[in-house]
Amino acid sequence: GVLAHLEMLEMQAHEAAVKQQEVKQQEEKLARLKARVQELRLQRDELRAKVDLQQKGQLGKEGGVSDPAQPSARAVLEWKIKSLKAMLRIFYLTGISSKLTKQGVCFTISTAYEGTYLDSYHLDLLTQPEVRIQRHSVPTFIPLEQIAKKYLQTDIRRFMSVLSDHLNAYVGRRYQADQLQEHFSDQIEGALQRNSLCNLLVFNYNVSSQSKTFLFNARLLYGDLCSILPTEVVISCTPDAPASLAETAGAHSDLFRRMALHKAFRSFRSTEKNVA
Amino acid sequence: MDVTVAEYIRRTVLKIPRDEIKTVLQKWGFLSEAQLQSINFRQMKENTAQEVVQLCEENSADIRQAAVLDVIYNHIYADKRMWSVYQMNKTGEEMEVFCLTDFKKKIKRRLQSALKNVTITFREYEHNAIWIRIAWGTPYTKPNQYKTSYVVYHSQTPYVFISTSVYKSNLPLLCQALVVASNYHDIREMELRSRSLNSLKDIVFKRYSQNFQTYCPRPLQDRNVAPESADPRIIHENRNEKERIQRVNQEVFGDGPQPKLEFAQYKLETMFRSDPKMDVLDKKEPFRCLVKFSSPHLLEALKSLAPAGMADAPLSPLLTCIPQKARNYFRIREKKGLLPGNFVSP
Repeated sequence: GVLAHLEMLEMQAHEAAVKQQEVKQQEEKLARLKARVQELRLQRDELRAKVDLQQKGQLGKEGGVSDPAQPSARAVLEWKIKSLKAMLRIFYLTGISSKLTKQGVCFTISTAYEGTYLDSYHLDLLTQPEVRIQRHSVPTFIPLEQIAKKYLQTDIRRFMSVLSDHLNAYVGRRYQADQLQEHFSDQIEGALQRNSLCNLLVFNYNVSSQSKTFLFNARLLYGDLCSILPTEVVISCTPDAPASLAETAGAHSDLFRRMALHKAFRSFRSTEKNVA
Repeated sequence: MDVTVAEYIRRTVLKIPRDEIKTVLQKWGFLSEAQLQSINFRQMKENTAQEVVQLCEENSADIRQAAVLDVIYNHIYADKRMWSVYQMNKTGEEMEVFCLTDFKKKIKRRLQSALKNVTITFREYEHNAIWIRIAWGTPYTKPNQYKTSYVVYHSQTPYVFISTSVYKSNLPLLCQALVVASNYHDIREMELRSRSLNSLKDIVFKRYSQNFQTYCPRPLQDRNVAPESADPRIIHENRNEKERIQRVNQEVFGDGPQPKLEFAQYKLETMFRSDPKMDVLDKKEPFRCLVKFSSPHLLEALKSLAPAGMADAPLSPLLTCIPQKARNYFRIREKKGLLPGNFVSP
């Protein structure tokens, strides 16, 4: 009858309530687990970051749950290699570096001119029974045999220093001549006459005075092979040039003797701008 | 315009490959741009050459301009000639300053005072290379423009590169003129010959890659890093040997390209070594024998011998010393007494 029906409804309601509670519990559990997963993920990322930092050799003090620890053996080795490479690079940058070989030493002279690194030259030296050059990559117009005859047996340091001076001066002179040809070709008339050692330069260049251009001829002789400045400068003008230009020629001659060639030409440009 | 000059220009143009004629003429600079535009370079070379001669006639070309054209041709196609290397010596220690104008004057003076009939042409190229073209005549005949000698000289170096054609008799005069003009004392021919002028320069000026041991931060070259075999089942049984050969090869030949030589010649004057019982050519006299290695590119071929498995590494020093000793002609005599190994004569 009715009571049985009521009982049945009650039971149903009860079951429904239980189910509902179960679902709720499931949902809560799910939410909790999700939160837990987030937490763990965060922790994992933190630990990963810490490990990365450690491997890079940096010991941070932030949030140290794990200890800053001993850097791994691998990290130490890498650091050693890095600082050795830096040391060798420093030696290379000083211009003269060397390496022991089976039979002697190999020297490397790296040349530079005012901050620009230029060519490198090598010498393989044998040390037994006496010091001599086995092979080298020094250009043939550098008086290597002469320098070796003077210093190689008695004072290797002096030998390397003198050779380095010759080579650095040669690349410096060559650099100036190249710069002149590259950047001031509009002022140079005709070809720039030079030689292998770049110790004799002859060229014609334009000089403007009172809105007329005159041709000057310059002859620069670099008597000292270890110097980047000329020892003798002769500047001559064409016969039709006014007498006032003689003074300019003298001034130019002075300038070439004191200053690098391309810098001298740069200063011409600026003075011309000032005058004009 | 002289008929001989016209013919000479015509023949020179005919030597140039058709597609290059315009470039060469532009380098020559004797014909104006307008004149060059008027030439049809796509027709047969014989006709192009005729047109060029016609225009040169208009511009009144003489032998001097024709000679310049020849220099330009020979500079571009230098490997059509065989070049020898000569070395000069000086005993003085004073540094002479090399002046190009003086050099040219001295050469001209020397040659013209000995032989009135010579055509001498100078042309400068990059890296201070001076090219000299000489057409030889006799006191009674005009210079023969088809028998020329070429000299290439870099100032302030002791090396001269000479390519002569047939008239070898003028060589002593030429050598003397060079020695005087460049302020040296004497000159001798080196045992080094090749068609590749640049390779000869690389060898004597030491511009080829010698393998120096340095700490220099050279750009790291990928030295034949073979890609890791995708298939791990492939095992290279003689990987160690291969690597050893690579290493030895690299020590000997260096990393870069080798200078280009066409041959190496070894004249043997050694005793024939045989089993005494065989009684072949008893030890009385040396067994004369000439060994010649030829190749379009000898040194690269030698470099690839060991990796190709055709020779043991390291190769015989007689082969590998070629660039360093700057010679490709050798004479090998029997070792006598205490001399180690075979005596390679200078």
